[in-house]
Amino acid sequence: MLVTGLLVGIVLGFVMQRGRFCVTGAFRDLWVTGNTRWLTAFLIVIAVQSVGVFTLDALGVISLSSSPFPWLSTIGGAFIFGFAIVMAGGCATGTYYRAGEGLVGSWLALIFYALFSAVSKTGALAPAVTAARGVTVEASTVHGLLGVSPWLLVAVLAVAVAALARHHLRRRPAAPMATLPARRTGIAHLLFEKQWGAFSTALVIGVLAIVAWPLSWATGREAGLGITGPSSNIVNYLVAGDAEVIDWGVYLVIGILLGSFIAAKASGEFRVRIPDALTTVRSIGGGALMGIGASLAGGCTIGNAMVNTATFQLQGWVAFGFMIVGVGAATRLFITGPSKARLAAAGQASAPAAPAPASVRS
Amino acid sequence: MAQHVLETDGQVCPFPLVEAKEAIALLAIGDELVINFDCTQATDALPRWAAEAGYPVTNFDRVGSAAWTITVQKS
Repeated sequence: MLVTGLLVGIVLGFVMQRGRFCVTGAFRDLWVTGNTRWLTAFLIVIAVQSVGVFTLDALGVISLSSSPFPWLSTIGGAFIFGFAIVMAGGCATGTYYRAGEGLVGSWLALIFYALFSAVSKTGALAPAVTAARGVTVEASTVHGLLGVSPWLLVAVLAVAVAALARHHLRRRPAAPMATLPARRTGIAHLLFEKQWGAFSTALVIGVLAIVAWPLSWATGREAGLGITGPSSNIVNYLVAGDAEVIDWGVYLVIGILLGSFIAAKASGEFRVRIPDALTTVRSIGGGALMGIGASLAGGCTIGNAMVNTATFQLQGWVAFGFMIVGVGAATRLFITGPSKARLAAAGQASAPAAPAPASVRS
Repeated sequence: MAQHVLETDGQVCPFPLVEAKEAIALLAIGDELVINFDCTQATDALPRWAAEAGYPVTNFDRVGSAAWTITVQKS
């Protein structure tokens, strides 16, 4: 039933596009504004999925296994991946769903991400990546390391995330938030127009992440949501013609692309958008580094930071942390640093005439 | 009261928001900043920034497929 991958992917792509769910944005906000609203949404996905996955494991529907933790490649790869997603303007899923919205920069990032995933997993860089991932420590899970039941960790995570969500829900902005004028009513308004809440979007994605486990398992792919492996498989299929590599995950990522295209098209949010020269170069470079980083780290923001965290793998949580550090470095280099420099320059140049950046026309 | 226009079409997030913050810093109180953008995520980020900064939004609308405009008043 590989087709279930396509269905989960379509729904996931649709929800991510409509909910404006962006993991890169969630991590970047920490460094740009210090805001944790989207990070909280991301943690909701992890917590919801964690409850579901350990329940499925307890029921015997799936059986979670673990392997030694490749600490060195996880730290290095996650930092590279975090740095790269700022350059590319989106993480792996973000790039898939923005490609579906018609952003040509994301098409380029996606192509280079898939290509360099294959290069790192099965191509010229594979020996180096395999060697780096051979540097391991025996511990594999957080609960194994602490010698506690995983349910204790699930409970701690759920309580902490609930407290964070409550904090954000109670916080009211200084003024009511402006919304776009409604042009539709009923279900069409809800699906294709209404601004979705970050936390309700996260709840839906959490449920989809749980559902992915047994559906993928049933086809012989013993894992949850994943993006990098399937992207590499697509390249391998295209260049080597080996149909064996077309698994549940390949259908999933194709579904994400389709789902976001459907959502964007139906909402009037699809348009082929050509990036400028700088964005083009960054998209290509970012995409290539994403492929290498995710392969080294053993997963992207989804496979590692959202799925391996839910199962309390050390690899997932360490990757989560170092992706945020990588995002911070790139944010400083490409976003907040140049912005501060421009503001300082504008402040110094403030002559009697109204100072304005080049892009502002009075 | 003057109106300033910031064109950010073709720029991906967070650049429309970053540029809007830079531009509004240079405006006089009461001036309006019209931000034209085509990054989907900015339909959430820009009005939220205005609301949290306490800047009134005097216009927010679609201007075509995947194209929006928002007018924020500096206060």
